[in-house]
Amino acid sequence: MPVELISANQAAALSATLAGRANRTGRGFCSGVYPITPATECMEYLCAQEIEKSRVVRVESEHSAMGVCIGGAATGARTFTTTSSNGLAYMAENCITAASLRLPVVMVVANRTMGPPWNIWADHGDSLMMRDSGWIQFYCADNQEVFDTVLCAFRLAEDPQVLTPFMICMDGFTLSHTIAQTKVPEQKEVDRFLPPTSIPHQLGRIPHALGQIELSSQVAAHRAQHHNALLGAEKVYKTVQDSFEQIFNRRPAEPVVAYRLEDAETVIISMGTIGATAEQAVDKLRQQGVKAGSLRVRMFRPFPADRLRSLLRGKMFVAVIDRDISLGFGGILWGELRGLAEPGAVVQNYIAGIGGGDVRPGHIRDIVAELKHRSVSAAPVIMEELL
Amino acid sequence: MEKRRAEGVHAEEDSAAGLHGTIQMPLEIRVHGRGGQGGVTCAKLIAAVYARTGLYVQTFGDYGAERSGAPVRAFTRVDHLPIKNRNKVYHPDHLLVLDSGLLGPLVLEGVSSGSVLLVNSTDSAESLADQFPSFKLGVIDATAIAREHGIGTSAVVIINTTIVGSYARMLDLPMAAVEYVYSSLGLSDDLAAAHEAYDSVVILPVRQPGGKGNPIAPVQVPIPPVLPQTEHCLDIPTTLQTGTWSSQTPSYQEYEAPCNRACPAGNDVVGFIQALKNDGPEAAAEVLLKTQPLPSVCGRVCPAPCMTECNRKFLDGAVNIRSLERWISGRAQVQLEKKQPLLKKDFAVVGSGPAGLSAAYHLTLEGHRVVVYEKMAMAGGVLRYGIPRYRLPDDMLHRDLDRIIALGVTFRYNHPLDRAGLLKLHDEYDGVIVCKGFGDAYAIGVAGEDLGGVEQGLDYLAGSKESIRQLGGTVLVVGGGNTAIDCARSALRSGASSVKLIYRRSREEMPAIAEEVEEACREGVQVLTWRQPVGFVGNKTVCGVVLAEVDPGPPGKDGRRTPVITDRTFELDCNTVLLALGQDRKLNLLPDSWRIEEARAWEEENPLNVWFAGDCRTGDGTVAHAIGHGRMTAYSALADIDTSPAAGYAEKVYKSVVAPAHIRFSHFPVIPPHSDRHRSVSSYQNNFEEVNLGLSGQEEAERCFSCGRCTFCDTCLVYCPDGVIYRTETGYRIDEAYCKGCGICVVECPRRAMEMHEK
Repeated sequence: MPVELISANQAAALSATLAGRANRTGRGFCSGVYPITPATECMEYLCAQEIEKSRVVRVESEHSAMGVCIGGAATGARTFTTTSSNGLAYMAENCITAASLRLPVVMVVANRTMGPPWNIWADHGDSLMMRDSGWIQFYCADNQEVFDTVLCAFRLAEDPQVLTPFMICMDGFTLSHTIAQTKVPEQKEVDRFLPPTSIPHQLGRIPHALGQIELSSQVAAHRAQHHNALLGAEKVYKTVQDSFEQIFNRRPAEPVVAYRLEDAETVIISMGTIGATAEQAVDKLRQQGVKAGSLRVRMFRPFPADRLRSLLRGKMFVAVIDRDISLGFGGILWGELRGLAEPGAVVQNYIAGIGGGDVRPGHIRDIVAELKHRSVSAAPVIMEELL
Repeated sequence: MEKRRAEGVHAEEDSAAGLHGTIQMPLEIRVHGRGGQGGVTCAKLIAAVYARTGLYVQTFGDYGAERSGAPVRAFTRVDHLPIKNRNKVYHPDHLLVLDSGLLGPLVLEGVSSGSVLLVNSTDSAESLADQFPSFKLGVIDATAIAREHGIGTSAVVIINTTIVGSYARMLDLPMAAVEYVYSSLGLSDDLAAAHEAYDSVVILPVRQPGGKGNPIAPVQVPIPPVLPQTEHCLDIPTTLQTGTWSSQTPSYQEYEAPCNRACPAGNDVVGFIQALKNDGPEAAAEVLLKTQPLPSVCGRVCPAPCMTECNRKFLDGAVNIRSLERWISGRAQVQLEKKQPLLKKDFAVVGSGPAGLSAAYHLTLEGHRVVVYEKMAMAGGVLRYGIPRYRLPDDMLHRDLDRIIALGVTFRYNHPLDRAGLLKLHDEYDGVIVCKGFGDAYAIGVAGEDLGGVEQGLDYLAGSKESIRQLGGTVLVVGGGNTAIDCARSALRSGASSVKLIYRRSREEMPAIAEEVEEACREGVQVLTWRQPVGFVGNKTVCGVVLAEVDPGPPGKDGRRTPVITDRTFELDCNTVLLALGQDRKLNLLPDSWRIEEARAWEEENPLNVWFAGDCRTGDGTVAHAIGHGRMTAYSALADIDTSPAAGYAEKVYKSVVAPAHIRFSHFPVIPPHSDRHRSVSSYQNNFEEVNLGLSGQEEAERCFSCGRCTFCDTCLVYCPDGVIYRTETGYRIDEAYCKGCGICVVECPRRAMEMHEK
C-alpha cells in the first residue's frame, strides 16, 4: 500500500475522493464547498481532483455548501464537505436538515475556536455545538486515523440500519496541517469496501417530498427511530471495522482507544490529538512509577456509554481533559462521562488547550500530579496559562 | 528524554537511501524563517528526506496570522516509532535559521548546548562560532546560492531547497534521499543548488561543551493582564513593534491626474474640483486663476481634452469638467494677489486673444507692468470676433476681461503692428510677447471664388458680432472645424432657409468639438461629408456650387487618409457660401535679420527679448492651448530676463500619471454624469442667446475621483489591519514602529495617493 507524506486535510480530501470514485457505478459524487481556515486546504485539494461522475460546487456560503450535499445525497450521490468553526455555525440549520432527513452526508470538521474573540486554532467547541443534531461524531488523533475514519464514515453513514450524516473531527492546525506518513489504498480496494450508495428514500424520476409537516406523535416516532439508529451505529461500526480489516489488512481504531489501562490507577480521558499526547505522557509517567493510563474517546456520538462504564470499572482517579467548555457548566466530555465512573471515584475535569493552547506531555503529567492530591471531585479546573 | 540510537533503520528500505551516521532518536527539529521564505516547506523537505530513510516523521508549521516578512517557525519530528506527540517543538535538537537577522534569544530558546545550529548567513563561520561556541555550527550563504540558481524572484529569493543540502551534509544524510525527495516533489531544478550548499557549507565543531539538559532559558515575554471582554475594546496598536521584520513601508504620494496632464492650459483640474467640493466656488477660483485667466470662456468653448482622458469614463462617464469650470466662473469674484518682484520689468504684449491675455495676465500676476497692443477697437481677438454669442455671450467674455483689466493690465486699442512697430516695441520694452494669432484665412482656389456671396466664414462671424446680418435661402459652409460649425449655426440664426455643411472627410474626422457638431445637426444643419466644392456657379453672385465626391486615399503624414477628389460631380443651388478652411500662420512682422528659435527671436547669435506665443507660434487652434502657451512663454521670458536667483517658474513635474488600473472603482458608487441644461428654443431665427445653460448645481464635483491626490477619505485608515494610521492636522501619520509593510492601505487607496517603497 503506497505511503504518502500528506497533511490530514489532504488525507481527508484524498479519502473522500477515493470514496467518491467508488460510487461511479452509482449516482456519483457531489460536494458543496466553501473555504474557511483551517479546513480550506481540504476543500482546495478536493477541488483539484478529477472524479468521474461528480460535481464539486464552490458555493457562496457554508449554509449552501450543506444545501448542495443535502440535494446530492437525496438523489443518491455520495456527498462530502468540510468546514470549521463559525462556518459550521452558519451551516448548522442545514446540518439539522441533513440529519433529520436521514441523509448520509460525510463532513470533516477542522476544529477551531468559535469567534469572537477571533482565533484560528484548535478547540472542540465548534463540533460539540452540533452534539445534539443527530450526526455521528468521531474525533481523530493522527493523519492515518483521519484518512481511515473518512472511509469508514461513508460505509457507516450509508448503512441502511444507520442512515445518518457523519462528522469527522480533527484538531485545526495541530492535526489538519500536520504532515505525516499516510497509507493510501488502491481504488479497487476502496471499491470493494464501499459499494454504490443506495438510500431507500432516494429521489428518482417520480417527484416526492422529504421532511413534510408532522404531528407530535409522528415527530416522536421519527426521533425515536433516529435515536435508535444512532445507538445501533456502535454495533454496526464493528462490522465496518471487520470489513475494513479484511480488505485493507489493518483495523481502524476502536470507538474508545484504551492505552495501558488495565493496571492503571489514574486514567486520563480526552478526545482528539490531546489523546495521542496523553499516551506519550503515560509512557513517561510509567517510567516514573506512576500507574497511569489513557482513554481516548473517538466516537462521541453515539456516545459509547456502556463501553466507557466497563473501561472505567475500578478506576478511582479519572482526569477528563476537555478542549472545550460548555459555558455555565464545564467540560462537555466530562459532563457526559462523570456518571459512568466507579461510584466514589474522583472524576476531575480539566479544561485545557482551548483557543489552541499547546497541550504538552508535561501539562498532562501536571494534571495527573494535581489529581492525586484530590479526594473528591471539584468544579472544573480551567488551565489558562497554556500558550 | 530518552535517546535511542537509530542505527537499526527499517530493513525494508533501500539501503542506499539509509542513514550513514548515527543520529539520536527521537529527533526534534525547528526551522526559523520569515513568512514567504519557505520555512514550512523546508521542514517538510527534511521530514521527507528522513521518511525516505525509513523513519517515521511528523512536520507542521506554526500557523498564525503572520504576513510576509514576519518570523515564522516550522517543526519536524523524526523517530523510528510512530510519533504520538502532537505539540510544538520546545527543545529542538537541530535548529535551522533561514535568516541570520532573526538570530537572538527568541530563536535560540530551549536549545541545549551541543545541538546542531545551521544558519543562512553572509557572516563568516568564525564570527558566528564566537557568538555560538556551544553548538555544532553550520554556516552557509544559501541566499547567494539560491539567487545564483534563480530560485524564487529577484526580490524574494527562496532558500529552503538550497539549505536542505547543507543540512544533509551536517547530518551525513544520503544525498540520494534528497534527490529522491526533490524529484518526487517536482523540485529537481533546485537539486544543483542543494548540491552546491552540500559542498560549501562550513561546519565547525562545538567549542565550549556545556552540560546537557542546560537549554537556553525561555524568554519571558510579559503578557498583559487579560481585561474583561466588556472592557477589552482597544486592541490596537499591538503591543509588539515591527522591528526589523518589515522590508517595505507605505507613504503618501501625489501623482498626476490624467485630466491635469491633458489640459492644454495647464489647469490644476483635480485641484479646482476638489476645492469646489470642499470649500466652494471662491476657493476653486483661487486654484483656477493661478493658470487660467479666462474660466468663463474655457468653461464654455473648450473642447475639454481633460474629459476625454478622465478615468471616470471607465466607470460611468467622464466628469463634466468644462461645465464645472463654467460653474465656478459664474459664482466667484476672486482676484489673485500680485507678487512683488525684485525688479519690475515692462512688457509689451501684441494681440489680446487668449494667448496675449494669458501672457499679459501672468506677467502682471508676477508683478510686472504690461501693455497690450490690440489692432481692433476692443479686446478679445478671436474670442470677441470669432466665437458667436450663442456660445460665448459678450458679458461672459467681459467678466474675464474686466478681471484682467482690474489686475492692472493696460490695453492700447486700434493699434495694429508692422515690422517698424515691432522694432520700436523691442527698443522701448524689457520684453515683447507677440500673440497675434493665425494669419489670413485660406482661400479655396476654385473657379467662381470671387463671385458675390462667396466669402470667408471668419469675416462673416466678425460681421455678425457687430450686428446680425440677414442671410436668405440656402447657405453652404465649407469646412469641418469649429469656425465652420460656428458659421453654420450662425447662418441658421440669420434667416437661412437651409444650411448645408460640406466636409471632405468623414464626420468623425471633423476637427470641430463633437458636441458642437451634434448641436448643429440638432438645430437643423445638414452635413454633407466626402464632398468638396470644385467650382462656384453664378452671374456676379453665386447661385450654385459644383460638388465633387471625394474618395478616401492612402494615409497621409498625420495618419488620416488623404482625400482624393473624383470627377463625379453634381451641382447644388445656394445663395451664400461661407469658407472655413483654416488660416495660415504667417507673421509678416519679422525684420529680415531676425529668426525664431524656440519661440524666441534671434538676431545672428543674439537672443532678443521678443517671444512668440499662441497660434502664431503653435497653430494648435484652441483657446486652452493658447492660454497654456501664453503662460509658459511669459514664464520663460521672465526666466530669460530675470537674472535674480529667486526666479523659479518651473511647473510641477510628476513621476507618472494615474491610469485606470490604479483606480479602485469598487470604492465609488455609480453616479451618471450631470449633463448641461439646454434652452429649448422654438425658433433660432435672430436668436443669438446662449443655448447651453450649464449645470444646475455643483454635485458633479462629487464625482471627481481626485486621481493621485489624497482627499482624506480615511480608506487607508479604515483598511489598515494594524490600526497604525492616524489622522493629523494636515493628513495622516503612519506609525512605522508598528506598520508591517503589508501594503493593504496602498492597494485599497481608491485614487493612487499612496505608494510602497523599500525601507
